[in-house]
This record gives sequence, structure tokens and C-alpha cells, in this order.
Amino acid sequence: MTQAKKTLVPGLSEAEAIDRAKRGDAESFEALYGLHKRRVYSLCLRMTGNTAEAEDLTQEAFLQLYRKIATFRGESAFSTWLHRLAVNVVLMHLRKKGLPEVSLEESMEPQEDGPKKDIGARDNVLAGSIDRVNLERAIESLPPGYRIIFVLHDIEGYEHNEIAEMMGCSIGNSKSQLHKARMKLRDLLKMTRAEKASRQ
Amino acid sequence: MTCAEFQKVLPYIIETGGIAEQEEHLRTCSTCSDLVADLKYIAECAKLLVPMVEPSPRVWNEISKSLEQEGLVRKATPRGRLLEPTHASRWGPAAWIGSAAILLLILGGLFIHRAHSNRTEDASLTPAAQPARSGLSFQGMNDSADQQVLEQVQTNTPSLHDTYQTNLQRVNSYIADASKSVEQNPDDADAQQHLRDAYEQKAMLYDMATTRSLP
Repeated sequence: MTQAKKTLVPGLSEAEAIDRAKRGDAESFEALYGLHKRRVYSLCLRMTGNTAEAEDLTQEAFLQLYRKIATFRGESAFSTWLHRLAVNVVLMHLRKKGLPEVSLEESMEPQEDGPKKDIGARDNVLAGSIDRVNLERAIESLPPGYRIIFVLHDIEGYEHNEIAEMMGCSIGNSKSQLHKARMKLRDLLKMTRAEKASRQ
Repeated sequence: MTCAEFQKVLPYIIETGGIAEQEEHLRTCSTCSDLVADLKYIAECAKLLVPMVEPSPRVWNEISKSLEQEGLVRKATPRGRLLEPTHASRWGPAAWIGSAAILLLILGGLFIHRAHSNRTEDASLTPAAQPARSGLSFQGMNDSADQQVLEQVQTNTPSLHDTYQTNLQRVNSYIADASKSVEQNPDDADAQQHLRDAYEQKAMLYDMATTRSLP
């Protein structure tokens, strides 16, 4: 099959590419892959933290897409449909691996690491000091359960009720895990900022 | 209401807001308001994380093999070919935009190289200062090229203009952030890779704008 980066005929809409892909057109498959590969791969990579796994899962997500594309009716946007499929592929993989997604035991537990009461320390706020490189690194170092929720909610834009349904947990659990993820990121980013300041 | 009481319910009210007592505590407590500000800021930054990385070509190779083995695809006949060579003359003035995309990648590499080699000379080197050393007006070329791309999109597919404009703003912001990281840490391989990825993303946006109509 041809390289995925070949150009398409101008004027071919995504709807037409989907329609042709349903009829087995090879170049349309390539077009759809080229259009969506980055987002699907980024999702898989952020959720697993492993490039080899992320590539395998990306491959699996697109294969499932192509097998099921005939069932796509257009009730939602194609990218939404593909995205949800990719999320399910990753979650299934994580379940098989036995990795903790969301602890079903955690519900309304109190904060373990509340912030210290830094009186008059308004210069410690993060606003304006996060760069994307450090944020990506911090996300990578989150524990898997926190990372998954954070990626799904804050990066990919899923709502808590959707996450709860996908993960088989309660909405309260989803909110609690997200909060812990953000708290952990806050700590990591502040540490990074402090290290940088001490080097200068 | 104490900070501990407030922070206990914070996960459940941070997005929707709390009852009057909770809001009052937030308004009057600098510790808790700083905390909420930080958490919201992290969430906002996360939204701006543009997918920057690509899977290796191996992924598509494996997919295409599987598709053929499963009989899910049929190869296009010459009459039904979707692929046509692009000719510069079809796009007229936009033909140079492909070259601009390549130039962006080269400039990105130059920036990384200069930031590394000039580390001890000038720690505050910025892209805007490049012209003095490289003779290239980086920022000027950046804005002018973006404008040309958007004009081209407006002409060919006006419905996609706003999308491209938003994507260009995002990727320019990413380039600025990544450039700053490289300036501050010229030896940081991750920062360099992020910058390269950012430029590549922009180059692909240019490529898509001029050769595709897909959103």
C-alpha cells in the first residue's frame, strides 16, 4: 500500500473519504489515518506512558475503526467516534494488564496532602509559569490511575459522567482521582520550578 | 469554615462552584484561593496540549498489511485513482508555502543549534534576535507566512479558515514555549525535540492548508 503521506485530491471532504473507505478504498483509509493518527497516538501515549505500547494500541484502534467503519452512521462527529473507540482500546489493554485505573475503594476520603498554609506566599502560585515541556513531563510521571483520569478529563475533554461509564466507577471517584492528579501535578511543577530557580 | 473542610469538598465543587459558605471561604482565604487558582491553571494548560507526536511509519505498515490480509481494502484502479500529482501551477502563489514549511523546519534546527552554541555568550537570545546572527527575519517570516496560508485557506476553503487560524495560534504558542525552554536549557534533549516537533507540526499545517480540503 502507498505511503500515508501522499497528498489527496483537493475538494475531498472527510465525509467523502469515510464513504469511500466504507467501500474499501485504500487511499481513503490512508487519508483518514493521516488525518487522525497524531491525536489517537498522543492519547494512547499519554494514557500508557510507553511508546511501544502506544504504537501497538494505535494500530489496534485504527484496525478496529476500519473493521467497524461500515457501522458509522454519522450521529456523532467521526473524530469523536474514533476517539471513543481508541479510549476503549486503551482501557481494555490496561484492564488486561491489571493496572489500577481507578480505585473503587476511594470515595469521599479526606485529602492526604493538603497544601501547607503559606501565609503571604502568593508568589508561589503557578499562574504564568508552566511551560508545556514541563507539563508533559509531569503528566508522564503521574501514577497510571491518576494519569488516565487527567488525560481523559483535562486533555481529552471527557466529562465525569462519561469517564465514570468508561471506567466503571462512580462520578465521585472520577472527580476525586482528577483532583489528586492535579494536586500531584501541582507538586511536581512547583518542584521543577524550585529546582530551576536554585540552578540560576 | 476551615481550610481542611473546604479542601475536603474541593474535588466536587471546583468546577461547579460551592454553597455560599464555601464560596465565602474561597474569597477570604488566600491559601485555598491560591490552591484553586493553581489547579484551574493546570487544567487550562492541559487543554492547550496539542497532539505533537506521531507514530512511527511501522504502525501504518502493519495496519495496511492487516487490511489487505483481512480483505478490507481494494486497491484503486487507474481510472478511480484518488491521488494526483500536485503541480505548483495549480496553486499559483501558494506554491512557495511548501518551501516555507521546509524553511520553518530548518529555522527550528538553526535555533536549537544557535541556542546551544551561544549559551555562554548570550543567555537571553530570542527568536526575534536571530536576524543579527543569521540574517534571517524569523518573526517577520513567521507572521507573513501565516497570513499567506490563511489567505489561501480563505480563498479555497473559507469554512476552514477559523479552524486553521486557531491551530496556527496554538502551534505558534507551542513554538514560543518550546523555544523558551531550549533557550533556558540548550542541552535539554527533550526540550529540543519538543521544539522540533512544534516546527514539524506547523510545517504540516502549512502542507495541509495548501494540499487538502479535509478539516
